[in-house]
Amino acid sequence: MKIRFVGGAAIFLAAFAVLFSARADDALQRIQKSGVLKWGADAEGGAPYVFPDPQQPEKLIGFEVEIADALAHKFGARAEMVQNQWDGLVPALQRGNFDIVLNGLEITEEHRRQIAMSQPYYVYSQQIITRKDNVALTNLASLKGHAVGTLSGTVAQRIMEKAGGVDVRVYPGQVEPFRDLNNGRIDAVMLDRPIAVYYLTKEPNLKMSGDPFAPGYYGIGVRKEDQTLLLALNQGIAELLADGTLEKIYRKWNLWDKNQLLLVNYHEEQPTAQKNAPVSTFRNWRTYLPMLLKGALVTVEISVLAMALAIACGLALALTRLHGIAPLRWLAVAYIEVIRGTPLLIQLYLIYYGLPNVGIRLNAFVAAVLGLGLNYAAYEAENYRAGIQAIPRGQMEAALSLGMNRWLSLRAVVLPQAIRIVIPPVTNDFIALFKDSSLVSVITMVELTKVYGMLALTTYDYMGLGLMTAALYFGLSYPVSLLAKRLERKLHRDRR
Amino acid sequence: MIAVEQLKKSFGKHAVLRGISMRQQKGEIVVVIGPSGCGKSTFLRCLNQLETMDSGQVTVAGITFNEKPTDHATQHRLRLRAGMVFQSFNLFPHLTVMQNITLAPVRGNGEPRDRAESRARELLKKVGLLERADFYPSQLSGGQQQRAAIARALAMQPEVMLFDEPTSALDPELRGEVLRVMRDLAEEGMTMLVVTHEMNFARAMADHVLFFDDGLIAEEGAPEQIFNESRNARTREFLSHFAENYRRTGGT
Repeated sequence: MKIRFVGGAAIFLAAFAVLFSARADDALQRIQKSGVLKWGADAEGGAPYVFPDPQQPEKLIGFEVEIADALAHKFGARAEMVQNQWDGLVPALQRGNFDIVLNGLEITEEHRRQIAMSQPYYVYSQQIITRKDNVALTNLASLKGHAVGTLSGTVAQRIMEKAGGVDVRVYPGQVEPFRDLNNGRIDAVMLDRPIAVYYLTKEPNLKMSGDPFAPGYYGIGVRKEDQTLLLALNQGIAELLADGTLEKIYRKWNLWDKNQLLLVNYHEEQPTAQKNAPVSTFRNWRTYLPMLLKGALVTVEISVLAMALAIACGLALALTRLHGIAPLRWLAVAYIEVIRGTPLLIQLYLIYYGLPNVGIRLNAFVAAVLGLGLNYAAYEAENYRAGIQAIPRGQMEAALSLGMNRWLSLRAVVLPQAIRIVIPPVTNDFIALFKDSSLVSVITMVELTKVYGMLALTTYDYMGLGLMTAALYFGLSYPVSLLAKRLERKLHRDRR
Repeated sequence: MIAVEQLKKSFGKHAVLRGISMRQQKGEIVVVIGPSGCGKSTFLRCLNQLETMDSGQVTVAGITFNEKPTDHATQHRLRLRAGMVFQSFNLFPHLTVMQNITLAPVRGNGEPRDRAESRARELLKKVGLLERADFYPSQLSGGQQQRAAIARALAMQPEVMLFDEPTSALDPELRGEVLRVMRDLAEEGMTMLVVTHEMNFARAMADHVLFFDDGLIAEEGAPEQIFNESRNARTREFLSHFAENYRRTGGT
């Protein structure tokens, strides 16, 4: 009965929409004209929403793929997925990269502030997952004092942070938290139930613990000005709900539960006008700056330790390459070439997620320092090699002819001169490392860039927070340049 | 003091030394002359093992070695007994003159610093650089730098000094001060093996002159014999390039 009413209302709205769209060249008209509905989503670790078919990796599958196809069909168009980092879907929509966001976007106040949200198409809830032997962690309260993984920028993250006392570990993708749960780095994972349903079929040692809780709605995101598209989407969702298409899709993916009945009774709560204004983080810098500073402290700790490691290992590598015996020399060359020739990101993944496979389980901080340090060691080694080779051979020969051994000659004669030459490139690398340290957020380190990302995601003030963050980076790296310049001058005191 | 038997050395296919044999007594001054690329420098560098040889046998200050690598202790002793002065001075630019001289005695041999420094001051006085002890090499003229380098080598109290074209990198007006120091050293009885193009020095100071040509000793003898009565066409041809110089300076 109710379903039919919604359907009736939808038909009325559709008529209105057609009338409206005839007057302006808006998104809906464009979609119908071009025959393409562009939807933004993140297929990286996106199961079961949208992800590459394991059998046929060039093809995307997932329950949202099927919803997008069904909706596009209603517009007489075909759906075309546009890949976009999940964290950045809303700003990318606002920039016009695609027409809609259809990717587990929760209907929340924050999202409503930025974009228009459609009727819900799915009722999600939170699910706690633990190892099979764990019986204690069954609800939010029991998570206190435990390390719990979740996805960056999700409702689950916010629920846990609000609850307090939980050691929240934030992951960029869906696979990694389950890995860390398996290898014992964390005690539980909490995230949207669809993800749990899908991944537990592949994780024999994990289980859902306790009942799903904190239900919420997934809606489709649309630019605020695209009102006709929004109405058409609402109508489309209502029709798919009414004719059982959605239920069929959800049952196929094992996602159907009685919570979905809430979809029918959904009433949109209008955001209040005053909340509509974006948060100015500039004006509230007292709140946000300390959070950014905390992230900056982590950035500094990681960078300084990693650079110290890079300098020490780089020197050892350079000396081995120049003066070592044959097999060691080849090893040093191989290390330098392999590390320089592969992305830092992959190296971080290998150290953090790969090493547990061979029994080495490092915590995120150690992995971050090791990853950055060992990577930059290869670059430092080449700096030092260039510096050492720039010292004329006669210096070494003079030292040797005075009866000094090779090691003392290097230490007392060649290296002190080489250091002066390498200060500028090493300073350069330190500043580069300082900024590259933002990459370690992929292994759950919450450093400056990550804090920025998380704050920007909730406030949507990319500008204000971005400027503050950039100022912090600059404020921390510029003194390093100045210090290096002074050091250089001091060491060159003998040059006239 | 020095005995060399059939010393041979090639760089790749190029034979630089093709069988050098010579002897030098304690206190003797031997000067090696010859066209550039004839192997003079390589010969000198083989004597303190900055260069390895391919075959032959060398004895320097009681240490005998051949093409086989010697152990570190022997090499260390060899280099302490045979001091070397380079064409390009090779002072350590990041250290003062004093530090240049005391680095090896203090950090290499573990000598007390004050003893090394007082000896360094004596040597600096001898080469006329006492007031430059705390200068950096870049603040000195070429001649001063080479004198400092000589003092640095002497600080190891060597039994023989090897000079590898010590004045070739210097402007003519700066050569005299270096040659004067070398002459003083010779008069004190230091055993010296000198590779040089300074014919005046060779003529005046050498006990024995070796003329190197194409990796061999083409002629050797007392300086009067080499410079005045050479019967070797190559020697005469080589020396003719310097004739003009002699006349102008009137010999020494």
